[in-house]
Amino acid sequence: MAKSKILVIDDDPDIGLVTRLTLEREGFEVIIATSGSEGLARVKSDRPDLIVLDVMMESTTAGFQTALALRSRDPNSEYRDYAQIPIILLTSIHSTTPLRFGPDEDYLPVEEFIDKPVDPDVLVAKVKSLLGSAR
Amino acid sequence: MGQATPPNLLDTSLHYSFASNNTRLLRIRWTAGGGMLLATLVSTRVLALPLPETPLLLLGILILAYNSLIVWRTRQIEALKGPEYIRRIQRLFVLQIGLDWLSLLLFLHLTGGITSPGVPFFFLHVIVVTVILPGQSPYVYCAVAVGVIGLVELLEVTGLLSHYTVLPGIDPDLYANPVYALAQGGFFAITIFATAYLASSIMDRLRERERQIAILLQTTQDITSTLDLPDVLQRLSRNAAGALAAQAASIRLLDDSGEVLTMTAAHGLSQKYLEKGPVDLVNSEMDREALAGHPVIIRDPSRDPRIQYPQEMAAEGIQSILAVPILGQGRRLGVLRVYSASPDDFDQEDADFALAIARQGATALSNALAHDALHRADQERAQFVRIVTHELRAPVTGAQSLISLLTRNMVGELTPQQMDIVGRLERRMAALLDLIGDLLTFAAGKAVERNQPLVTLPLCQTMDLIMDRQRPQAVEKGLTLTLNCHSPEHILTVNATEEGLGRIFDNVIGNAVKYTPAGGSVTVDIRAEGGRVIVTVADTGIGIPPEALAHLGEEFYRAPNAKSAGITGTGLGMAIVKQMVTRFGGKLRVESTVGVGSTFTIALPLATPPG
Repeated sequence: MAKSKILVIDDDPDIGLVTRLTLEREGFEVIIATSGSEGLARVKSDRPDLIVLDVMMESTTAGFQTALALRSRDPNSEYRDYAQIPIILLTSIHSTTPLRFGPDEDYLPVEEFIDKPVDPDVLVAKVKSLLGSAR
Repeated sequence: MGQATPPNLLDTSLHYSFASNNTRLLRIRWTAGGGMLLATLVSTRVLALPLPETPLLLLGILILAYNSLIVWRTRQIEALKGPEYIRRIQRLFVLQIGLDWLSLLLFLHLTGGITSPGVPFFFLHVIVVTVILPGQSPYVYCAVAVGVIGLVELLEVTGLLSHYTVLPGIDPDLYANPVYALAQGGFFAITIFATAYLASSIMDRLRERERQIAILLQTTQDITSTLDLPDVLQRLSRNAAGALAAQAASIRLLDDSGEVLTMTAAHGLSQKYLEKGPVDLVNSEMDREALAGHPVIIRDPSRDPRIQYPQEMAAEGIQSILAVPILGQGRRLGVLRVYSASPDDFDQEDADFALAIARQGATALSNALAHDALHRADQERAQFVRIVTHELRAPVTGAQSLISLLTRNMVGELTPQQMDIVGRLERRMAALLDLIGDLLTFAAGKAVERNQPLVTLPLCQTMDLIMDRQRPQAVEKGLTLTLNCHSPEHILTVNATEEGLGRIFDNVIGNAVKYTPAGGSVTVDIRAEGGRVIVTVADTGIGIPPEALAHLGEEFYRAPNAKSAGITGTGLGMAIVKQMVTRFGGKLRVESTVGVGSTFTIALPLATPPG
């Protein structure tokens, strides 16, 4: 069985390092993208099995926009072939402050949330469970 | 001219004015009927005048009789509401006045026809009719009066009716003298029509004023009842057109450049006209003059050089315009225009009235602008806090994530000493993250919370959830954590937000758990008392020294014994608690004895139970 490919989209190189080291130790192949737009390009070129997505990058909602683009309900969407890839959203303010980005936030089309700081054990557990259920 | 749909207040005032006029008329008629009986008896018995006593007494009784019938009918109608009431009571008025005329006719005949001393009664009657009924009715009644007198004269002269001479000392045949009859009849006709004209022009003005005052009152109510600016301006333009009985009205507001007027609300204008675009002040002398503070009356827009779009105006059927400024605290806000389909339709009084409406508009605008500014400031602040949160947290969470690689031995084994140092680093980072979280919650608190509506929440259930969050730490320290609800749960409700309550009690109960040594207890009691819910959180903790109690709730203040006990904290928790309790209309009290424990009492207003 080929190694599962995981795309990490985060503009923070330290988070990139932590997720890469953590996931590579578990035998995954890790690709890093540092912006939402680069991430979308990588989705097309590398066809990952799972995406770990940061929220605040080039804009405060770049991650949401990336998720929404990937999960677009538009039948002509250029990402329609990739809509089934599971997404884990990395958030840094969700659980600790009352701030919300909008009323739709609770309905974001993602499978999982992980709060920063990234706990390697939690990350590995969630990745494994999503990849397991995807097969 | 198009009549605007009258707003409710107008209906009410019409209803009221008909009802009060009816009462007045009934009272006058009791007096008239009774007076006739008395006067007849006095004239015949005391003054010995040659009056036809029996017919006059019968007439008096007839008047009292039909007045009783009308009283009975009025009571039936009074149960009705709105237009139906007005229709019925108007019909009743016509009937009453018809019966009155008939009585007057009989009275006139019985008291000497054209020579009757009762002729001036007709003037009284015409004035009553004018006060009660609008429009042309008074003139119809005048014509009827002249006709009635002429008819009586004719019937008496031709001998079909016998003539009564009631005044002593006048020629018994005077009534048949054509010169006398013509002179008497002619002057009567002129005077009664003139009376009707004068009375009805006064009444028309009064009615118009009354309608305008009702509309102005309605307008004041409208602008205070909502903060929805477009809606308020829409009502203002409708009311302005309605009050001045004009075809249309519009409100244009100055944009930020102060050079362009943009259509913001309109009533009675066609879609085509509305789409003709904004008005440049440079091209519209009318609006420039108005904004300089003077009402402008355009008597003929097709020829007036102050008009920017004369053709469009003509196509819209606009024949005269009134433009008044909307000025708020010396600031030029916009222009209220009223359009009429009749030429030269506006005068200075109309301008004054339009100015009064425009002033209401200015008030509404100022309120709405202030509200908008506040709202925008809140939003900007929330956005700022969101970005700062990210910027402050990102490096810390990044560092923590990196440290976790070391503590999990993912990049090689650490020596025990290295592990200890990394552990210390991890704890410092965690404390820093807490501080950032609290600080930003506190800063964001007002902005975010103000935008969240308060809901009615069952306090005991909410508290259960909050205490579940604290239970792991309590269990770890071997503390007993108890919740007692002393009133039925459905009574113990408060108006708050779930997050706000969470913030208050997470902090208070969290502190209690944190500052209570192993083996102690934290007890939460909830009871209803005098319209309030009293929550007490009592612990057996280290207590708060008296000198520190006064500083509790100050940002970043931490009691000296809390610091020396080596317990970490940000000193913001109680400030957040205070902020939230105040927001929900509550009070916070703290009692504490060092070494024995602390009791936090939070009183929140009881939510009014439904029904």
